[in-house]
Amino acid sequence: MAEEQSNGHKWTMIVDADKCTGCQACVVACHAENNVPVSSEDEVIRGRAMHWMRIERYWEGEYPNVKARFLPVFCQQCGNAPCEPVCPVYASYHSTEENINIQVYNRCVGTRYCGNNCPYRVRIFNFWAPRFDAPLEQQLNPDVTVRSPGVMEKCTFCIQRIRRGREQANIEGRPLEDGEIIPACAQACPTDALVFGDKWDENSRVAQMVPSERQFKLLENLGTEPAVYYLKGGETHVGE
Amino acid sequence: MTHLTRRDFLKVSAAGTATAILAGCAQETERWVALEPYVRAPEEQLAGIPNWYASTCRMCPAGCGIIVRVMNGRAVKIEGNPEHPVNRGKLCARGQSGLQLLYNPDRVTGAVRQGERGSRKFEPLAWNEAINTLYEKLDAADQAVAIWTGSATSGHLCDLFARYAGAVGAPAPLRYDLTSALNSVGALAAANNALFGQATLPGYTLAQADVIFSFGADFLGAWLSATGFGVEFGQFRSQRFGKRGLLVQFEPKMSITGAKADRWVPVQPGAEALVAGALLRIIADEGFGGAERAGLAAALAGEVDLDAAAAACDVPLADLVALARAFAEAERPVAIPGGALAGASNGVAAVTAVQALNALAGSSGLGFTPALPTALAAPGWSSYAEVQALVERMSAGQVRLLLVHGANPVYDLPPGSGIADALAQVETIISFNPLVDETSALADYILPDRTYLEGWGYEVVQPAFRGLPVVSSQQPVVGPFHDVRPTGDVLLTAARGIPAAAAALPWTDEVAFIREQITALPKGASGGDDDEVRWARFQQHGGWWPEAAPESAAPELAAQGTLDVAGAAFDGEAAQYPYYLHLFPSVLLGDGRGASLPWLQGAPDPLTTVSWQTWVEINPTTAQALGVDHGDVVRVESPHGAVEVPVYVFPGIRPDTVAIPLGQGHSDLGRYARERGSHALHLVGAALDDVGANLAWSSARVRVTKLDKKQALARLESTIDPGEDIHVPF
Amino acid sequence: MLESRATIGPYWDEPLPDDEHLARQVEHGREEHLMLDARPPAELNQLTLARMRQTGPRFWIALAGLGALTLAFFIAWAIQIVSGLGITGLNRSVMWGPYIANLIYFIGIGHAGTFISAALRLMRMDFRRPIARAAETITLFGLACAALFPIIHVGRIWKLFYMLPIPNQRDLWPNFRSALFWDMMAITTYLIGSTLFMYVALIPDLAMARDHMTGWRRKLYSALSLGWRGTEGEWHRLEVVSNLLSFVIIPVMFSVHTGVSWNLSMAIQPGWHSAIFGPFFVVGALYSGVAAVILVMIIVRKTMRFGYFMREEHFNAMGIFLLILTLTWIYFYFAEWITNWYGNLPLEKAVQAMLTGPLAPLFYLMLFCNIVVPLGTLWSRRVRTSLPAMLVIGILIQVGMYIERVLIVSGSLSRNELPFNWVNYTPHWPEVTVTLGTLAFLGLLYMVYTRFVPIIPVWEVYEGQAMQGSRRVGRAVMSTRTEVH
Repeated sequence: MAEEQSNGHKWTMIVDADKCTGCQACVVACHAENNVPVSSEDEVIRGRAMHWMRIERYWEGEYPNVKARFLPVFCQQCGNAPCEPVCPVYASYHSTEENINIQVYNRCVGTRYCGNNCPYRVRIFNFWAPRFDAPLEQQLNPDVTVRSPGVMEKCTFCIQRIRRGREQANIEGRPLEDGEIIPACAQACPTDALVFGDKWDENSRVAQMVPSERQFKLLENLGTEPAVYYLKGGETHVGE
Repeated sequence: MTHLTRRDFLKVSAAGTATAILAGCAQETERWVALEPYVRAPEEQLAGIPNWYASTCRMCPAGCGIIVRVMNGRAVKIEGNPEHPVNRGKLCARGQSGLQLLYNPDRVTGAVRQGERGSRKFEPLAWNEAINTLYEKLDAADQAVAIWTGSATSGHLCDLFARYAGAVGAPAPLRYDLTSALNSVGALAAANNALFGQATLPGYTLAQADVIFSFGADFLGAWLSATGFGVEFGQFRSQRFGKRGLLVQFEPKMSITGAKADRWVPVQPGAEALVAGALLRIIADEGFGGAERAGLAAALAGEVDLDAAAAACDVPLADLVALARAFAEAERPVAIPGGALAGASNGVAAVTAVQALNALAGSSGLGFTPALPTALAAPGWSSYAEVQALVERMSAGQVRLLLVHGANPVYDLPPGSGIADALAQVETIISFNPLVDETSALADYILPDRTYLEGWGYEVVQPAFRGLPVVSSQQPVVGPFHDVRPTGDVLLTAARGIPAAAAALPWTDEVAFIREQITALPKGASGGDDDEVRWARFQQHGGWWPEAAPESAAPELAAQGTLDVAGAAFDGEAAQYPYYLHLFPSVLLGDGRGASLPWLQGAPDPLTTVSWQTWVEINPTTAQALGVDHGDVVRVESPHGAVEVPVYVFPGIRPDTVAIPLGQGHSDLGRYARERGSHALHLVGAALDDVGANLAWSSARVRVTKLDKKQALARLESTIDPGEDIHVPF
Repeated sequence: MLESRATIGPYWDEPLPDDEHLARQVEHGREEHLMLDARPPAELNQLTLARMRQTGPRFWIALAGLGALTLAFFIAWAIQIVSGLGITGLNRSVMWGPYIANLIYFIGIGHAGTFISAALRLMRMDFRRPIARAAETITLFGLACAALFPIIHVGRIWKLFYMLPIPNQRDLWPNFRSALFWDMMAITTYLIGSTLFMYVALIPDLAMARDHMTGWRRKLYSALSLGWRGTEGEWHRLEVVSNLLSFVIIPVMFSVHTGVSWNLSMAIQPGWHSAIFGPFFVVGALYSGVAAVILVMIIVRKTMRFGYFMREEHFNAMGIFLLILTLTWIYFYFAEWITNWYGNLPLEKAVQAMLTGPLAPLFYLMLFCNIVVPLGTLWSRRVRTSLPAMLVIGILIQVGMYIERVLIVSGSLSRNELPFNWVNYTPHWPEVTVTLGTLAFLGLLYMVYTRFVPIIPVWEVYEGQAMQGSRRVGRAVMSTRTEVH
C-alpha cells in the first residue's frame, strides 16, 4: 500500500544509537503505558519474553578492546510492511491516517504468520492469558486494551497518545504542534535518544534529523521502508 | 453445456484464473475491502480525562521530579516532571516502576503485630492500638531509642525523627542503607572535604564538557542521580557544531557507562588512585595543557610508577599518555570518581586522587549543592562507623526500641556486621516499611507508612544539577490504597504523650510541619507572593527552586601536598582467592528494593539481558580456564562467605576479576523477590576502610569452583552463537 | 502369423491352450497379473464384501489402541484451547512449529492417492485398478486430518470464522493477498474435489453392496448409491464424469501443495524464501504420499487378506514409481541446497549450518531415510516385491519426510535477520501428543471406513479383467487391451 502525503501524518521515530545507554527506561515505560504483561523467568528461558520494545546488545571486539553496542528495536512501522499482506484477516493493517502499521487485536485469529514474516521479530504473541496479580491491575492504562490470549501485539507508536493529541488539537481548532505527541518510550528516555514526530511536517525535529549522514534504517536491504530511522553511534578516538 | 469438452473446460478455467489474477494484482485491495480501523474508538465513547499530579520519586535518593497520571482515582503512569531541574522530564526504569510499589500485591495492608519474630505470622492491629503501643514503647525506652532511616525516608520525616531524638536526648537517627554504601557517599564527602572543604556530594555538569574521565562511576546506570546524569550525557553527545565529547571509563567491569564510553580502560581493582596519579604525573612531566595546568599537576602528583599504572590498566603506556594529553588539553574536562573504587580499602584516597583531576581545569564541571536560604537542608548520611556503633549498642542491650523506616538493615549490611544478632538483643523493633522485608520479618510491629505516591513529604535534592538548589515536593496522588498511616502523623501523635517530645514537635500533623518548612522559603521560580500561593505552587510545580542558580565560584582547591596513590588491600590471599570480586548495583533493581517489582525483575539487564536472576560475570579467557560456559553454576567463595550462581561469560571484564550484581537474594520482600538469586553482599567482610569511616564493600577476593549443575539463564538475547558470518546489522 | 482366440465363452472360464508351453505361459500370466487372473464377478463381489464385514479380536484391539490415542489427541487439543498456546514449545522467534509441519505432512500423504488414481486413469494404467480406492481414501482422510491443523494451530480458534468470506455488515473480507487464504481455498477445493472424485467411483460398488446386504446396511447403501441401476447411460455418465474429474483434480492437487509451500516461500524468512518451493513441495508430497499408499496397500492386503487383488506386480509398479520420485526429490533437494550454499548469503548459510550443527542428528537421519535407503534398495525387484522391505522403506520415508518438514518450518524460523533473536525450538508434550494422535486418528478413520465401504473398486477390477484378452503370436501368448475412446 503506497503511502500518500495528501492526508494524515507520517509518524516517525529517530533512534540515536550514540545516545542510547541501554538503561531500559523506555522498556518499562512501554510496559506501563501499553499494559504489556511481564514474562516469568521460565517464559524468558523458553524464549518468550514479552516486550514491545527491546534493547538489543551486540558485542564487538575482544577484551580489552571490547565494545557493547545498544540497538533499541521496536515495531519499525514499515511503509511496506511484510506483516500486512500475509495476515488472512486484515488484523495487521496499514493506517492511512497515521501511516503506521496497526494491529487490530479483536480481528486477530492468531495465525502468527505476521510474526514469522517480520524480519525484526517485534511482533509479540500472547501465548498465555495476561496475568496481573491483584491489585496490580489497578495500574492498567484505561486507554489501552489488555490483549486476550492467542493474539499478536506490538508497538503502536502509542497510538492512544497520537489520537488523544489529535483530538485535543481538533477541539482547540489548531494544527498539531511538533513535540506535542510523544510515545511513552521517547518521553522517558533520559538521554533523548528517541525523537518522535511527523516527518511530513517540514519543520518538525524528526524531519530535520532524518537527512543526517549518520542515518540508516534497520535491514534496509529488505525494502520494508521503516518509519524508524537510526543514527549510527560515533566514536571519538584517543590513544592507539 | 451439453457439449462441454475437456478442452473447452480447460480453456475456460484458464481464462477465468488469468482474469482473476490480473484483476487481483492490478488494483489496490481497498477497492473491494472496506477497512475500518478498530483503533478508532466508537464515537459515543468518551475517553476519561486524566489528572496529573507533580511529586517526587523515592525509588532512589536522587530526588527526581515526577508527574503522575491519575484516572478515576487510579495512578496509571509516572513520568518525569518536565520542569524539574534534576531529571528535566525524564525518568528511569526504577522511577517508572513506583506504581508497582503502590499496587504491590504483597503490601502490608494495615498495622500488624508479629507474635514471634521471624514467624511471619502477623495479627492485625487497630491503628489507635498501634499508635498507643508506639507511645508506650517510646515512653518506656526514653533515651534508649534508636531510629534507622534510609533512602526511602522523606526529608521531612528525617527532620521529624531528628527533632524527636534531640528532644528525648537519644542519639541522632541513623541514615544508612545499601544505596548510600554503594554510592559511597561517605568517601565522596570525605574526598570533597579534603580537596575543596565541602563535605557534600559532588554534582557534575557534563552537558558542555569536552572530556569526561569516569573512574568506576556508572553515572548512566545506578550511581547517585543517573537520570539527571543521563540528561546531561545526552546533551554531552550532541553539543554545538556536531561536537560529541570524549568519554573514557576506567573500571574493571564494563558498566553501561563503560559501554557508552569512547574508550573503556579495564583498570585493575584498587589501582584507580595509581592511574589517576599517573595521569597527573604524565601531565606534569610532559607539560600538557600549558604551564599552569602542568604546574598544578606537578604539585598534586607524587612519585608514580608509570609502567605499573599502564600495566594495571592493561593498556600501553603510550595510550595512557594520549589519554592524559586529551584530558589536560581539554577546555572543560571532568573527572568522576565513584562505584567500586570508592568502596575499596583506599576508597577515600582513590576518590580524592580522581576528584583532584578536576582541579586542573579549574573544576569547571564540578559543583556542590548550594545551601538553601532557610535552615532546611538535606539530611546527612551516616557513616558505617556510626552503624557499627549502633550495632554495638544494640548488642550490648542498650537499645530498647528500634524504629526502622525506609531502610532494610538485615539485607543492607554484610552478615559479618552482626546485625542479626544485634537485633535479637533489642527489646522492641518497629518497622514502618510498606512490604515485609528482611528487617520487618524480624520486627515486633509493622506500622506501614504510606508509599510515596500516597503520602506527603519533600526532598532537599543532593547532588543538585547546574548549581540549582531544589526542594522537591511530594504529595499524595491517590488516596491511601490500604489502611496505612503516614509515619509522620503516627510519630507526632505518639510523641504528644511524651512531654519533652511534645514540646519539640508541636505540629498537629506532618502536613502542617511540611507547610511551615516550605512557606518559609522565599519566592522561587514558580512564583507565589504569599504563603498560600507558594505552598500551592510548591505542589503544583513539583517543588521549589530559584529562578537562576545562585552565583557561585568554581570549587577552589583547598588541599596541598601530593596525592596518596597506594593500592587497595584485599581480603584473602591471592594464591587461595585468585579473583577480585567486583560487586555492582543492578541498573534495574538498584540496591535490592526493585526486586519486589515485576517490571524491574522482568526487564532485561542492559549488558547481559538477563532478567529475574543473579549471575556472575566472567571473562571468556577465565571461563575457558575454569572450564565453564553460560549457565554453568559455580561456587564463588570469599574468606567471608560463598554463593552459588550461574555464569555469564562477559567479554567486558578483566580476566582477574569476577562481577556479581546486587539486588537479588531476598528471603522476604514479597513474592517477586523471595527466594530468587543470591545476595553477593554475603561475600563481603564488615571491615572499615583505611580512614576508618566507611564500609570497604569492594575489598574481597574470591575463588571460583565449577559445580556439576546448570541453570538456564533467563536471557532476552539469543543463547546461540551466530558465528563469524553474521554481522551486526549496523 | 496371427491366430485369433479359439473359444468364446465367459472370459473367466477361458480354458488353457492345448499347447503345454502356451498353457504354462498363460498360467504364469494368471499368477502374475490380476488382470489376467479373471474370476467371476460374483466371486469378486463376495470376496470384497466378506472382508468388509469381518472384525476379529485384532481389529478391535487395534481400534481401541487407535481410539485411545485419538482421544488423547482431542484431550490435548482441548487443554491447549483452554490454557493457550503457551503449553507448546513455540517461542517468540519460532511461531510455527510441528502443527504447520503436520499440515504439510498430512496434505503430503493425502496427496498421492488422488494423483495415482486420476493420473493413472488418464494414462490407462491397469495397475491402478485394485488400489485406486485405497489410495483415494488416504487422500480423503489425510486431507481431513491436515485441515485440522490450521485450526489447531491458531491462537483464537473461536474467531477462526473471520477467515471465511462471509458477507457481513462491515464489508470485512478475508485478505486475498495472504498465502494462508490461498492455501485454505486450495485445501477446501481439493477436499471437495477428492471427495467427489472418490464418491463418483464408489457409486457402482455401493450399489453392489446394497444388492448383497440386508437390514440397516442395505438402507445405508441404498441411500448412498443414489439409485444406481447399472444402465448403459449410467455407466457412460460415470465414465465421462470420472475422466473429467481426473482432469480437474490434477491441477488442483498441484495447487494444494504449491499453496502450502507458498505459505513458507512467500515470507521473507531465510530458509523459506525460495522459488523452488512450489514444485519441490509437490514432489515431496508425492514422494511421501506414494510411500504412504504403499504402506496402506501392505496393511490392507495383510489385514483384509486381499492377496488376490494386491499382487507383487502392484508393489513392483508402485516401487518403481517411488524410485522415480526418490530421484526427483533428491534432485530438487540438491538444487535447493546447492543454490543456498553457493549463494553463500550469511543467513541462508546460518540455516544450513544449523542443520549440520545442532540439528545434525535429525538432518542426517532425514538424509538416510529419504535418500540412502530408498536409493540403495528400490533398484531391486526383490525389494520392491517384498512386503516387509517395502513396509520398512515406507515407514522410513514417512519419518524422513516428516523431519524434513519440521526442519524447514521450525528450523528455518529459529534463524532470522537479527541474531539477537535466534531461539531454538524444542517440542513440548502437546505437539507430540497431537501429532501422534492425529496419525492414530487417520488410522482409525481408515479402519472404520474399510468396514463400511468396499475398499477394492470391484467394478474397476471387473472392467479391467473383462477388457483383457490374449492373442497367440507364434509360440507366445500376449495380452491385449481393448480400452478405446
